[in-house]
Amino acid sequence: MRAILAIVISGGLALVAGAAPRAVSELAALIDAAPAGTTVVVPPGEYHGRLRIDKPIVLDGEGRATIDGGGEGDVIEIACAGVTVRGLRIRGTGKDVSSEPAAIRALAGETTIEDNQIDDALFGVDLREAPNSVVRRNTIRGKDLEPGRRGDGVRLWWSHGCVVEDNRVDRTRDLVFWYSEDLTVARNHVTGSRYGLHFMYSHSTEIVGNELTGNSVGVYLMYSNRIRLTGNVMTNNRGASGYGIGLKDCDDITLEGNALLANRVGLYIDNSPSSVDSAGVIVRNLIAFNEIGFLATPNTHDNRISGNAFVENEEQAATNGRGDLARNTFSADGAGNFWSDYAGFDLDGDGRGDLAYEPRSLFSSLMATQPNLRLFVHSPAQQAVEFTARALPELRPSPMFTDPAPLARRPALDLPTGTSERSAWPMATLGAALVGGAAMVCLALTRDGRLHVGERRIA
Amino acid sequence: MSAVPQTVAIESNPRRRSYAGGALAFARREFRDAMSSRWFLLYTMAFSALAVAVSFMSLSGAGSQGFAGFGRTTAGLLNLIMLIVPLMALIAGAGTIAGERERGTLLYLLAQPVSRTQVILGKYLGLALALVCSLCIGFGVSAGALAWRAGGVGLGSYATLVGMTCALALAMLAVGTLVSAMSRRTGVATGVALFVWLALVFLSDLGLMAGSILFKLRVQEVFGLGALNPLQAFKMSVIVSMNASLDVLGPAGVYASQAFGEGLPWLLGSVIGAWTIVPLAVAVGAFARRGSV
Amino acid sequence: MIRAEGITKRFGRVAAVRDVSFELAKGGSMALWGSNGAGKTTLIRCLLGVMRFQGAAAIGGVDVRRCGRTARSLVGYVPQELAFHDDARLGASMMFFAGLRRAGAGAAAASLEMVGLRGHEHKRVRDLSGGMKQRLALAIAMLSDPPVIVLDEPTSNLDAAGRGEIVEALRGLRKKGKTLLFASHRPDEVIGLADQVLVMERGAVERRTTPAELWPSAKGVQVVRLHLAMATEQAAAQALREAGHAVHLNGHGLCVAVARDRKAAPIHALARANIEVRDLEVLEDVTMPEAES
Repeated sequence: MRAILAIVISGGLALVAGAAPRAVSELAALIDAAPAGTTVVVPPGEYHGRLRIDKPIVLDGEGRATIDGGGEGDVIEIACAGVTVRGLRIRGTGKDVSSEPAAIRALAGETTIEDNQIDDALFGVDLREAPNSVVRRNTIRGKDLEPGRRGDGVRLWWSHGCVVEDNRVDRTRDLVFWYSEDLTVARNHVTGSRYGLHFMYSHSTEIVGNELTGNSVGVYLMYSNRIRLTGNVMTNNRGASGYGIGLKDCDDITLEGNALLANRVGLYIDNSPSSVDSAGVIVRNLIAFNEIGFLATPNTHDNRISGNAFVENEEQAATNGRGDLARNTFSADGAGNFWSDYAGFDLDGDGRGDLAYEPRSLFSSLMATQPNLRLFVHSPAQQAVEFTARALPELRPSPMFTDPAPLARRPALDLPTGTSERSAWPMATLGAALVGGAAMVCLALTRDGRLHVGERRIA
Repeated sequence: MSAVPQTVAIESNPRRRSYAGGALAFARREFRDAMSSRWFLLYTMAFSALAVAVSFMSLSGAGSQGFAGFGRTTAGLLNLIMLIVPLMALIAGAGTIAGERERGTLLYLLAQPVSRTQVILGKYLGLALALVCSLCIGFGVSAGALAWRAGGVGLGSYATLVGMTCALALAMLAVGTLVSAMSRRTGVATGVALFVWLALVFLSDLGLMAGSILFKLRVQEVFGLGALNPLQAFKMSVIVSMNASLDVLGPAGVYASQAFGEGLPWLLGSVIGAWTIVPLAVAVGAFARRGSV
Repeated sequence: MIRAEGITKRFGRVAAVRDVSFELAKGGSMALWGSNGAGKTTLIRCLLGVMRFQGAAAIGGVDVRRCGRTARSLVGYVPQELAFHDDARLGASMMFFAGLRRAGAGAAAASLEMVGLRGHEHKRVRDLSGGMKQRLALAIAMLSDPPVIVLDEPTSNLDAAGRGEIVEALRGLRKKGKTLLFASHRPDEVIGLADQVLVMERGAVERRTTPAELWPSAKGVQVVRLHLAMATEQAAAQALREAGHAVHLNGHGLCVAVARDRKAAPIHALARANIEVRDLEVLEDVTMPEAES
């Protein structure tokens, strides 16, 4: 009986102790006591203060420990190679952009940062010259600041050979990769940020299966070469730039099997490839429902664009400025792309349209030189201009490019589906409410309007 | 059953009758007339069919990516709405007073204890209700199609689209009513209404495009002149509700988003509001001041 | 009950009504007599406040121009022919006007009962006979039981039986103390219903008299057709009008309305004007066609 009572009391005390914040120095003492290469399990609870790890150990919070930096500087700084930080809740970095405070900052390689939950952080994970590191399955949420004052969710700086995968990042600036090569960036979900994935001078990387939704730009590659983007979904990136994928001065880029949906611009190419002997390969992507499907600077050349499906973009392809896209190839091995506005036909049934696809929208060409006219898109007046151009061939501009073998049917692309499916019930309810409301008003106002004979007798 | 008047009460005092009551009687009759008329049925069916068709076309074969097509569906609907809804509302409004005048029924109505303001406002109200019902049915059916194909995305934007479309219909109905109050014959009123439609849908925008190119109008001038058109104001307010900014409308849209910020929806809404109140007020004034029937 | 002071109504340069003044006491009954274009209809419209005019008019002491709605609530108006939506059903129309006149379903039923239209509520207005339409108009006028009834040639489109029904109903209303003002072309109606006659000519009041003075032997009126030499018909019509007869001229001759025992009077009048009458026939039960001005 007493024994049971003792256990209950000590358990209660433990709970009370667990509820009160402790100093991070307790943790530092645990780490000091642990031999290198061992695992330090952080006792459950909340720790206040900033932690520096300078010994190759595994620090495991098992999802029950929180470290709160108290709003000053970095929270965890990793100063030596071979450290793993796992299963911690981390919050409360400083907020001054110029000092770049991070929830976890690694200054050495072979670091593993996984299964952490990072909140209220200016920078989430910052790897500085930390090659061969892994950033995996972390949830990172930025501070509620205006975009210009936020920090990066994940930043790599001169860190080659890293793996960044399965992270979920919300409301930060960028996931940005500086001067880092041979990376794997896979299956990350980035929302509400500036650039979902941002590459600066970072070459030879695989970008696979990421989902970038509701950012200003999905993926922006700058001055980065030999990058393969496959199986990514870029949805609803409609900020100031608003690109699903943007390429600036990048050589030897391959885009394959990506879905670029409902962005302001699906794919934006600015002077890529920029070197003479390189080429871009853009194949088997779905580019759908964007304001502009494919936008390029007029000097763009040497991209091979084939097997893609361009579906219901307001403008399928456009240049920003006067010029055309004729120096790119729109077919390979006799197969071009699917264009949802293709008006031709396929009489011989070989799956290729018998007429070339040659977009020559008068309104598009007007907009290229008179940007103010974009005010009138989505209006009947725009349709009137296009109609006039069709009726009066001398008004038609020369084609922006030629797809000699447009696909007659939409290719079946093995594409990622995205995870943004939502319940159909609210919309169905709205529909029913609209119809039902109208019907009720009709009934109420048309019923009971006539004289009821027989019910009343007049003396 | 209930108490029945035994004799007809003889009263020679002028009675105070409620002002709204008279107008509501007209509204109700106008609504019933619209309900039983062919144009109402035709418009409702045509609008519903087109709205569903646009929804399906925009989402054609989108498969599991269908949810993303909502924006494009709305854009497709925008074009349809800007063509059909003003036409519907202008023609309906144009027939209302001129039709009664031409059939000779207006005199008889005016000989009843009602004021001209009651007549015109009551008729406006009845037609407005009929139009809103017609649009709600169309949007409701289309929402069903969207729910089926795309799931529940853009609910708020869709609701805004419905609301703004109704506001646009009310504004165009007010313009039609003004045309009707000034016209002696239905044919003339309909002709004028068609011209107004043409002007608002095509001529003003095309003119502004040409002006923008020829006179190198500045961006704020293009936006300002464009937004005066209730159709453009409608379009912009729907786009603002979907994208929270007008960036997709190019430099003029960027200018508007930056210059007016949070106030932009209110500004655009007040343009449409002004297109409702001013024509209606002028119609009431002109009708009341008419020397004859 | 009805007072007119210097009512003048111009359409452009033409004065349809010129400086008409009269007063009609409560319970009185006045006929407006005169050829087409004499201004009877315009005068009625002015009195109802449906048209703008110069001068003043009051009904039951209520200024028609300032408080038209209240003034009209004291008046039941019956037009020449009921102008109403043909598609509407009788019952629904009745309820609409009951709404305007703030009468309940009970009053509407009573009103229909009074004109003998109960049981026809489901019929469409277009399917009613002329007589039924006029009775419906009378029923609508009697909704809310107004003290004044104004009628504009209520029987001109009816056959003899229809006329009889309406006149009978109006006699009943007179007995109830209603004030009647009506325009008519028919001496029998005037004699049967009016105690005063306002004779109008080219928009102005020519004189105010009584049926007995206009038709001294008011036992009855008959229409006499005179056959004249072609060239003299216009002069004859002029002479007869100057002598105070109601005249109608058409291809079959010249018709004059005369008291039953004064059939020779037109012949005397023409003899004084040196116009020869070749033949005359007395038309029994023939409606006096509309007189020409």
